Amino acid sequence: MKASVSQQELAHGLSTVSRAVSPRSTLPVLANVLIATDEGRIRLSATNLELGISCWITATVEEEGSITIPARTISDLVSTLPNDRVEMLLNDRTQTLNVRCGTNSTDIKGIDAQEYPPMPLPEKSGGVELNVADLKEMIQQVAFAASTDEARPVLQGVLTQIEGTTITMAATDGFRISVRSSTVTNPSDKAISVIIPARAMNELARIAANGDATVSMSVPAGRGQVVFNLKDAELVSQLIEGNFPDYNVIIPRSYKTHTVVSTPSFQKACRQAEIIARDGNNIIRMHIQPRMEGPGIVEISAQSEETGNSEVQLDANIDGDGLLIAFNVRYLREVLDVVKTPSVALETNANNTPATIKPIGEDEFTHVIMPMHLG
Amino acid sequence: MGKIKILTDEVASQIAAGEVIERPGSVVKELVENAIDAGASEIIVRISEAGKKLIEVSDNGNGIPFEELELAVARHATSKLQRASDLFKIQTLGFRGEALASIASVSHFSLLSKQNEEELGGKIENTDGKEFHVSHYGGPDGTSVIVRNLFYNVPARLKFLKSDITEKQKISSLITKLALAYPNIRFHLYNERQLILQSSGNGDRREILTQIYGIEIARQMLEVKFEDHPYHINGFISPIAITRSNRREITFFVNGRWIQDVALNSALLKAYHTLIMVGRYPISVLFIDFPADFVDVNVHPTKAEVRFSKPDLVFSMVQRAARRALLAYSPVPEISQSFWKSDSKVTSDIETQWSPATMLTNTDDQPIFSRSSQGVIDHDNKEDDFEKPIHLPLLRHIGQIGATYIIAEGPDGLYLIDQHAAHERILFEKMMAQISDVVPSQPLLSPEIVQLPLHQAVLLQEKLEILDKLGFEVSEFGPNTFQVRAIPALLIGINPQDAIQVVVEDFEDDEKPLGGMVETIIAARICKRAAVKGGQVLSKEEQRTLLENLEQCDAPRTCPHGRPTMIHLSVDLLERQFGRKGSL
Repeated sequence: MKASVSQQELAHGLSTVSRAVSPRSTLPVLANVLIATDEGRIRLSATNLELGISCWITATVEEEGSITIPARTISDLVSTLPNDRVEMLLNDRTQTLNVRCGTNSTDIKGIDAQEYPPMPLPEKSGGVELNVADLKEMIQQVAFAASTDEARPVLQGVLTQIEGTTITMAATDGFRISVRSSTVTNPSDKAISVIIPARAMNELARIAANGDATVSMSVPAGRGQVVFNLKDAELVSQLIEGNFPDYNVIIPRSYKTHTVVSTPSFQKACRQAEIIARDGNNIIRMHIQPRMEGPGIVEISAQSEETGNSEVQLDANIDGDGLLIAFNVRYLREVLDVVKTPSVALETNANNTPATIKPIGEDEFTHVIMPMHLG
Repeated sequence: MGKIKILTDEVASQIAAGEVIERPGSVVKELVENAIDAGASEIIVRISEAGKKLIEVSDNGNGIPFEELELAVARHATSKLQRASDLFKIQTLGFRGEALASIASVSHFSLLSKQNEEELGGKIENTDGKEFHVSHYGGPDGTSVIVRNLFYNVPARLKFLKSDITEKQKISSLITKLALAYPNIRFHLYNERQLILQSSGNGDRREILTQIYGIEIARQMLEVKFEDHPYHINGFISPIAITRSNRREITFFVNGRWIQDVALNSALLKAYHTLIMVGRYPISVLFIDFPADFVDVNVHPTKAEVRFSKPDLVFSMVQRAARRALLAYSPVPEISQSFWKSDSKVTSDIETQWSPATMLTNTDDQPIFSRSSQGVIDHDNKEDDFEKPIHLPLLRHIGQIGATYIIAEGPDGLYLIDQHAAHERILFEKMMAQISDVVPSQPLLSPEIVQLPLHQAVLLQEKLEILDKLGFEVSEFGPNTFQVRAIPALLIGINPQDAIQVVVEDFEDDEKPLGGMVETIIAARICKRAAVKGGQVLSKEEQRTLLENLEQCDAPRTCPHGRPTMIHLSVDLLERQFGRKGSL
């Protein structure tokens, strides 16, 4: 292999794929990045066998070839190189890659590309086109609610369903659920329903640059994988097998109290209460108090034996009865962090039934949190 | 009058009963074993008030001829043995001829029996504790023994019984074990008229395992099949991913007899050595079938122990059988990889286990035993520590060495204190004291269904109220199945199935439920963020405060993880070391 690329593009490419590298694997080759020539470009690939990311960068290829190089070594090296052309020359006999840029010349020992797990063939047809900005926002609003509990893989994933022109994503950890829907421009001819690991979704949101207008998502039949194709990159993830909980049953259909508050003040109040609550069990109490005249008040309080007490009051438009309800403040704060609208509605029924959070003016996002019992 | 008298028959019976009949479970064991020896294909056990009020065992076996009824309940009367030499080729479970007589001497006893060829069965009763009355009775083939008011005449024994729950658990665990050993017999166990356990008698042991451990675990259990004629070992052991915190689920049957044997346990554990974490134990049900003359069963009054004529051979076979099943089925490549690579010593261990030369010489058993005896000694030392006054004496601060240890003087010598461990202990006790009685709980969006093994399910049913207080919301949801609607806030991040499992294991060990879990979580929190680390220079003021706070602690000698916080060099020891005192 003999090729030259721009240092900036190479550095960007390496950072794109590096998150799929598995640095502590018993298979040494998984700690490496595959560098290969591919139709006049350089392809960089990394995989941990669950998640694989590839990206293509423009290059001047003089001689075809491929090699795998320890990801850390090449990333650290390239990030310190000057903004210039990087020449890469593979010595096939010693499997050593010579990287030359400016006055620097480094020989890095690699592992034969034959040992690298085969990358799936790109799926060019049958994909659903998704708007990148929409997709990134959806992932941001849903993926955080997934569980990190290895014992329940289904909850570690994001249920992604496409039916007609509607795409819906949902994630839950058993205590809260986040559901977001959107429209797709080219409707898929058959319905898709898959559970994609939340981690893969977060990586997708990270590598999908706003420069890309669309992402194509496809689920090749019988492979148990999902493939996302971007302009110069591709992400392949294993799907999670199993039955996702039926969230339509969980989302409350009606409410007794409708409380509208300003998103930034609610968010700030939660952050303040969390400072005290985190030493307890993250519990805050919300006292929703409607008034006969004018706006009502929501009082948020936290107390911890060790740290002290905190109390914040928010103005609110309250429609319905008053209520004292307790929440895990982390759950509240995390959802408020991803609400984009200036005000948000909290819909409640009782202190032991699920509460719904809905941004005002954005019907496509729904978040449900189970309140806590104070014993 | 001489001082030495022959005891009356009644007293002698009660003394003998003391050996055989310790608790309701022993009655059930003796009676069910009799039923098995009688060739029954169906055995029904009913208990009431954990067996104290009623134990009834009915079978469809051979029955006892009417004219032999009186003999059956006489001491040392048995149909199973004639000569002493028969003992060494005994095929039946019973042989001592003591059970019925012993049971009858401590209860209101009646026995109904009918042989197949008899037209009318017989009934023998002893309702006043003295005389037996025989009468005719019409009933089905087989034998029923009804034992009421057990230990009514031995109140001392009643006092020594554990709680009803524990006694009932012992009985249900006994029946499940017998059901496993005799899969061709249909067992039914009723508690207060409610069927709590049954086996179908179709010979499928895995089906019974499902009843005991739930379908998930039963499916994963590895089958052990080991034959080296005339020796057979078969049964089931758990894969390395399934472990328990105690040895209770390790079960051995020798020639159909459930026995407890420390050496067999350690042979099995050795097969798991390095594969599972220290302090975790496998689940196993192993049936060891050896020629009858190989095993001496006449060692223990309740036959819970046996003696082998060649113990080394037995142990090495158990170990090889289990290890072979483990290695053959071990499905997790990472573990075996690191296992082979990281510890070359272990590898050689395995190789020697496979080579026949060491099998009989048993040399590689040696280190295990010496290691375990070492453990015992350590344990003794710890107990010594506990006997010392728990609170520390007043300490005079001297200084810090290595930015890690604090030196202090007490009335009885020198103390070296690990600042990190000591601080952990102080913070731990402070935080434990702050845990309030009000337990917040986090309900789940949709209830989780948890399935438990039978004996744990029985235990949990009775403790549902306590679970409520801990912050769980759990209700019954079908047989052995529970619906979890909320878990304690402290356990967020642990999945409901595991959380319930932890609580039930605490119940089984009679420990404070969730106590251990809460302590672990708090200890981890402290260790992560709050405690001073080793290598951190502390000012004199800080060191003094640390000592003062440590003096206030209830258990100042260990950190929450169990490591020592201090080393004490007594004045006496110093004097010896300097040759001022002692034999130097």
